[in-house]
Amino acid sequence: MNQKIFWRLSGPGALFLVIFLLVPLITILVFSFWRTESYTMIADWNLDNYIRLLTDKTYLTFLMRSLVMATVVSLVSLVFSWPIAFFIARYGGKYKIILLLLTSAPFLTGEVLRVTALQQILGPLGLINMTLNNFGIEPIEALMYSNTSSAIGLTYLWVPFMVLAIYLSLLNFDFDLLEVAKVNGAKSWSAFWEITWPLNKIGTAIGVVLVFVPTLASSITSKFLGGPNGALYGNILTNQFGSTGTWALGSAMGVVLFFVSILVLLVVWRLVGDLRRSGISIKGGARL
Amino acid sequence: MGIVLELKNVSKNYGKVIAADNINIEVDQTEFFSLLGPSGSGKTTMLRIIAGLEEPNEGSQVIINGKDVTHAPPYQRGIGMVFQDFLLFPHKTVAENILFPLKMQGASQKEKDENLKWITHLTQLEGLENRYPYQLSGGQKQRVALARGLVSKPSLLLLDEPLANLDLELRKKMEIEIRRFQIELGIPFIYVTHNQQEALTMSDSIAIMNYGKMEQVGEKFSLYHDPDSQFVASFLGSADSIEAEVASVQDGIATMTFHGKTIQARAHNGLKAGDQAICYIKSERIRMEVEENPDAPCGVVLDKIFKGQYIDYILDIEEGNEIIASSGTLSQIKAKDRISISWDPQVADAFPLPPKDPS
Amino acid sequence: MKSTLGKRLQLGTLILLYIFLYAPIVYIVYVSFQTNGVWPFPPDFTLEHYASLWHDEIYREGLKNSLIIGIGTAALASLLATMATIAILKYHVKGRMIMTGLFLSPLFIAHVIIGISSLMFNKNVLGLSGNIGSTILANATYATAFAFLVVLAQLARYDWRLDDAAMVFGATPKVVFKEITFPLIWSAIFGAFVVSFLLAFNNLEISFYNLGATPTLPTLAWGSLRHGVSQELYALAALINLVVFVFFGVLYAMLKSGLLKLDYKEA
Ligand SMILES: Nc1ncnc2c1ncn2[C@@H]1O[C@H](COP(=O)(O)OP(=O)(O)O)[C@@H](O)[C@H]1O
Ligand SMILES: [Mg+2]
Repeated sequence: MNQKIFWRLSGPGALFLVIFLLVPLITILVFSFWRTESYTMIADWNLDNYIRLLTDKTYLTFLMRSLVMATVVSLVSLVFSWPIAFFIARYGGKYKIILLLLTSAPFLTGEVLRVTALQQILGPLGLINMTLNNFGIEPIEALMYSNTSSAIGLTYLWVPFMVLAIYLSLLNFDFDLLEVAKVNGAKSWSAFWEITWPLNKIGTAIGVVLVFVPTLASSITSKFLGGPNGALYGNILTNQFGSTGTWALGSAMGVVLFFVSILVLLVVWRLVGDLRRSGISIKGGARL
Repeated sequence: MGIVLELKNVSKNYGKVIAADNINIEVDQTEFFSLLGPSGSGKTTMLRIIAGLEEPNEGSQVIINGKDVTHAPPYQRGIGMVFQDFLLFPHKTVAENILFPLKMQGASQKEKDENLKWITHLTQLEGLENRYPYQLSGGQKQRVALARGLVSKPSLLLLDEPLANLDLELRKKMEIEIRRFQIELGIPFIYVTHNQQEALTMSDSIAIMNYGKMEQVGEKFSLYHDPDSQFVASFLGSADSIEAEVASVQDGIATMTFHGKTIQARAHNGLKAGDQAICYIKSERIRMEVEENPDAPCGVVLDKIFKGQYIDYILDIEEGNEIIASSGTLSQIKAKDRISISWDPQVADAFPLPPKDPS
Repeated sequence: MKSTLGKRLQLGTLILLYIFLYAPIVYIVYVSFQTNGVWPFPPDFTLEHYASLWHDEIYREGLKNSLIIGIGTAALASLLATMATIAILKYHVKGRMIMTGLFLSPLFIAHVIIGISSLMFNKNVLGLSGNIGSTILANATYATAFAFLVVLAQLARYDWRLDDAAMVFGATPKVVFKEITFPLIWSAIFGAFVVSFLLAFNNLEISFYNLGATPTLPTLAWGSLRHGVSQELYALAALINLVVFVFFGVLYAMLKSGLLKLDYKEA
């Protein structure tokens, strides 16, 4: 009986994801073994795309640069997101929802507009450096068309995801546990490491992945902020679907990106460690 | 007097755990019926099966007012329930909570008003109608839960440890009130508790549960004084236990040797000469004498604990057997005194060993 | 006390984040009132971009399409996610863990992959050119995962025995949902709706690959880049942010007055 209701409720969504996510993914997996010729796909099974991706240094360089970028952006976001999410969850009271939505509302303004605005603030002719210039100070090189400014832009774009994930995890955290720890002699920091952190590791891991994956795949930000040496994997990937029309190679790049993401997910999962000791702590008992 | 609830061969397992093991019960129109057992013994499962929230195994039968409702959903059974932890609807006021069952029945506004007046008066909730559950004390929440269970005048009320979260004083008061409601409404209450004092105070009949099995059902007096099973003998009241060897069994009375002394108790479960036995005696049934009787078990008083209405004597009998004897009257006996003990064979119960007490 | 220091540091970080997040938006609002969009200093205020925004059909069309995509995606995603969450949390049956994994999995797939794979699928397998419908469906994949995360985290604390109680008192499953479950969990569903709307409304990567010439706000922005972002888009973004902040203001007033309660204290 319950089993039947379970399938009836979760089935539609599961079916939806299989049809509109899994099947297209399989499509590009198949196409990645094909060939493109003058803007058409040709079912000529081969490994050329993958051989090219693995032997041509440019692709690997871009992939490495994206990986480093994603790691840096994730770590920076992590450091910022924790105090923010903690503050909102613990002290937000009935206004929690507003404080949280304020971090996400910029999405309504769109990636392109915000990144170009950032470009105008950070760039060589930008607000910051022009202001410095007016005061006779040397412009900050790092802010101008560099990987640093790409990193700032990417953190800007995706940090709300991390805040959201950690916040959601903290929603189920019983803050009274901290009082218990303090009564038992734990200092604020050790209470955090002993109690808060382990009980919110999964939420944090999800947050890290939520930032890592879009950063790894990003293209727009580096296009505007990255300067001449700032192109990322996402930029050449999107090129294949743009002017060059090499869809088969692009599909292979997508597949590689997918598996790198999965690999990262597994690494993060391992870092999270012993799952039995983490998870959600809920007043009155967890139900998952 | 009609039978309102009948359970026939009701069983339920969760995977390997047997939460109900072939339960048979009949509950009468005016009966206050308690399910008593330790935590995890399957009491809640039993109530959920009666309410229709849990489907019992194949072959089980739940009959309410002569109708087989085994496969009927909860909302067609017309019973009331008071839940463990109250489970008041947090977004509804006291009045909305209480009137929920009537609202579900599509009752008219007039009917609702009248019933609200009646039930808030009965449960002394007048004036609290517009509060939300979080604005109530534990006792008030309890009353709201009761009022919600009773308001539609169901044919049967199920109560799952309704007093477990209240302090002792309030609990004593509510015990009496709940019993009063039951008499006033003239419907059977099925009351689940792990607290035997509660069960003994309120009930007409008690069923003792252990590991999903019904150990014994009966009128509370006979249950207390005539336990059928080792579990019931050890569980009810404050029971002392003594291990001894059976010398003979005659007319249902076993004569046993305990450190060379002779003791007697009713024999159960086919106890026979030569068996090792465990013998249960209620604390208040143990008599102490200051002069040492060479034929009776002897020992020393370790401690004397004043409990208000009675006194507990902690005794060390025949070196190494700790026994508690309760006495309602003040005596001269004091700590370190040597004493001998005895009891009426008709109030002690001996069972073969093993099986050991499951605890 | 040490804890107040920690609290102040946290609040400081939060304010810093808000400044960081809204600086470009403030800049956008500022530029929307300037004659010169490339180097708008010293200020030279004008409303001309708002006027041409009003007269240009294409922006209205883009806004309309973005709204359709946002609302359609959010509705589909929050519905599917809520149903799945209830299934997973309420019914302790086999398959819960696998379902949880499946519903979270889109979170780990980059949007660009979702975009190109649905493009490839539609174009090369189904032979269809992209349209708003396929855009909504593609957006709804990752949006369902976000919605699921939001609803799951909030419903983890829901006491499903309340539903049992209602059922014993005569409520059929439909009535239980209407009377008990929904009033207690609507804020979680609403949260899921808002989050998926936020993500889909201005999503470029999926819309770009799924919508040919149909304009949406992000594709218009992308398209106008060749000549520098058109300032009408800045004006439109400013108006959208005005709406957002009015919404926050109303929400704040309602929460403050108690007119709106997002969570009920435990009974
Ligand atoms: N939904 C369930 N799934 C698995 N086991 C359960 C479930 N509900 C109860 N049990 C098990 O059934 C037994 C009886 O539980 P319960 O009826 O709640 O006992 P009681 O109310 O007497 O404390 C326990 O061992 C408990 O762990
Ligand atoms: Mg129980």
